[in-house]
Amino acid sequence: MNPNLYWLQCGGCSGDTMSMLSADSPNIAEATNTVGLDVLFHPSFSALTPARHLRLLDDLTGGALPLDILCVEGTVITGPNGTGMFETCAGRPKKDLIAQLAARAGLIVAVGTCAAFGGVTRACDVGGVGLQFAGKEAGGFLGADFVSREGSPVINLPGCPVHPQVLIGTLSALATGKRLKLNERNAPLEYYNMLVHQGCTRNEYHEYQIEETDFGQMGCLFFHMGCHGPLAHGPCNKFLWNNRSCKTRSGIPCFGCTEPDFPQDTPFFETPNIVGLPINLPDGVDRPHYLAYKGMAAAAAPERLKHRQPKV
Amino acid sequence: MSENRKKTIDVALNRVEGDLELRIEHEDGVVTNAWSKGIMYRGFENMLKGRGALDGLVLTPRVCGICGTAHLLTAAKALDMISGAQLPVNALLVRNLAMMAEHIQSDLRHGILMFMQDCHNPAYASLPLYGEAVRRYQAFKGRSVIGAIGMTKKILEIVAILGGQWPNSSFIVPGGVASVPTFNDIVNCTYIINLFTTWYEEQILGCPLERWQQVRSEQDLQAWLDESDAHRDGDLGFFIRFARLVGLDRLGRGHGNFVSFGQLELPQGSAVRGRTADPLLLAAGFIGQGQAPAGCDQELVTEHVAYSHFVDYPGGLHPSEGLTQPYVSPYEIIKYSFCKAPRYNGRPAETGPLAQMLTSGHPLFADMIAAGGPNAYVRELARLTRPAELLPAMKTWAGEIDPEAPFYHSVREIPDGHGYGLIDASRGALGHWVEISRQKIAHYQIITPTAWNGSPRDHDGVRGPWEEALIGTPIADPDNPVEIGHVIRSFDACQVCSVHLLTNNAPATGRSRCVRV
Repeated sequence: MNPNLYWLQCGGCSGDTMSMLSADSPNIAEATNTVGLDVLFHPSFSALTPARHLRLLDDLTGGALPLDILCVEGTVITGPNGTGMFETCAGRPKKDLIAQLAARAGLIVAVGTCAAFGGVTRACDVGGVGLQFAGKEAGGFLGADFVSREGSPVINLPGCPVHPQVLIGTLSALATGKRLKLNERNAPLEYYNMLVHQGCTRNEYHEYQIEETDFGQMGCLFFHMGCHGPLAHGPCNKFLWNNRSCKTRSGIPCFGCTEPDFPQDTPFFETPNIVGLPINLPDGVDRPHYLAYKGMAAAAAPERLKHRQPKV
Repeated sequence: MSENRKKTIDVALNRVEGDLELRIEHEDGVVTNAWSKGIMYRGFENMLKGRGALDGLVLTPRVCGICGTAHLLTAAKALDMISGAQLPVNALLVRNLAMMAEHIQSDLRHGILMFMQDCHNPAYASLPLYGEAVRRYQAFKGRSVIGAIGMTKKILEIVAILGGQWPNSSFIVPGGVASVPTFNDIVNCTYIINLFTTWYEEQILGCPLERWQQVRSEQDLQAWLDESDAHRDGDLGFFIRFARLVGLDRLGRGHGNFVSFGQLELPQGSAVRGRTADPLLLAAGFIGQGQAPAGCDQELVTEHVAYSHFVDYPGGLHPSEGLTQPYVSPYEIIKYSFCKAPRYNGRPAETGPLAQMLTSGHPLFADMIAAGGPNAYVRELARLTRPAELLPAMKTWAGEIDPEAPFYHSVREIPDGHGYGLIDASRGALGHWVEISRQKIAHYQIITPTAWNGSPRDHDGVRGPWEEALIGTPIADPDNPVEIGHVIRSFDACQVCSVHLLTNNAPATGRSRCVRV
């Protein structure tokens, strides 16, 4: 029998659903039809009659119908004062429904940064938390020790929105019984062991410290424009977006939207720095050596790059 | 009469974007009263206060996953105004193209994936069009659904080419755009526009764009439908046949007031022209019930909170002075929505593609409204055919981009000041009112299209547009109130999730039964 899936939307913008609709090879229709996922309900697409949907929810929360995969999109809203009344469903806090379904699900997927870590909604004053993390802190709504029926923690697929390939790939793995190795934030290594920086067409500018100080200069965005590419984990420059490009290739800084502290407190489009050098260096880099390397690299910068001849 | 004659139901509506519940009072199978409840509060506006001056460009697209480019553009326009930026022609062209790609995506995703799904609601199982509706619109499987999934993601490649990604890019900045598209990028956009146009003509219209553009009255529309099988077999033709079969034109009338903030600035020297003298492709305006279109003045916009979960203030406030202080209480009996009540010159107004077609002088829609007033049919018709208004201009504008000319005029610092950005997003009038002080956001208020359409009652107790539009709606089966779904979805509600249907009991006494439509 095909594994089933229930998609629950809570405190978010449905951007992850919209991202999913942009998946390609396979697109969402091909994926559900060929991998054999039985989508019981998705709020944007399902045509269940009211009575049937009500029965379905009763069957799932009561255990009559075992739920294989629960996808949660959006932040769990617990405010004001822990009541959850900032997001309700038939007069009851939505968080109660999340808890009921989570208690029954075989596997749970947190789709997007909001569900994984709290995301943009966590920055608002509504008590927003992720399913098992609140920002960098383990715990979140379900608690750090929570495991779903199949013994797995919530599988986090951060990104604001999640990259469609990450979502479709993960669901394909789960639907066919494969288990993906997870990193310390419970995100699949397959997609989150690389940096956004890797594969950026502007890498050569970074190598020689040719940096933008204003939009449209076609340099690296890391030193002054607030780019998180060398800090943020995700495949944006491996898979690209919409089969075409990604922000850093188009001169827009990466905002680190896959990271637990997104949105960061410091202003976007600016790099926090000390005497012109970023405070946060590329992931894992040794500061003194990096500074020495940068000084030498800038001196070695070729003219063709200084004059932006590549036009990338 | 039985004591059960008057009933209240809570309806949970999916296939809308966002959280929505409706409380419906009906008598003898006809809706007599309605309350629209926004049931989620995220506190975006307060979160923005104190953040960096440009942070709205990153955060406001995250208000809405389906129209993030519209929020980005609106946020940037407010900062353009505050900084007095002069935009290069290329920047206007790129902004317009990305905006139009997002609209077309939204119109067809809503139309084919969300609205038309109702054509195979079990309530219609005995109708002659049912089998065809299943073959076309079944989720993830229907022929039209698969086509729409494939082509709406194709048209969005234009936003990625010009701005890095969709959804949630931040490529529009005060002074222009951050990206520098090359000749090859522009050519690829043109190919996508052509490819999409061919599909739209074959699959949706069943005729060339030029033929559709000749439809200028309801009489023309009938002649067009009678003209060929291809016209009747496209998704538009199917929609018209279905709408007539189930009487969508008799549902969802409403107040008959329309507001549009207008959009798509005509760049200097462009060959593209609008229908009016407005320097926009689609003109702004306000139309009071039965009146001629008049200009739209943002000074006349206010928001009320008498029935909204916010700390009270008397009357309405202009958004530049707007207050957002959430207030919920378990003992509350008056306030019922997290949505404020926007009003134009004190009046509720619907917004969206229909309003936009009317304010910009489209003869077909002017004729249809003059004949029968607004309804669910004409609203969705405007949405499904809006791409025909946009695609020719997109093609011209792509050709007018000069990759050698600038895309950005430097705006290094945002000075202190007030500004606003107003556009028509895919679902209608969208405004951001912004105050910047010492490089930080001092005040930010957003009015979304769905705040207009899904507004609760105002200070004077006047219903919001879709509350009003529900009055008189027949409900054949309270367990499956498909008619309510038609009315709400004709506004393209942007609130994910639910309208909850509570049967038989009055709101104060009954435990509600939650049903999704």
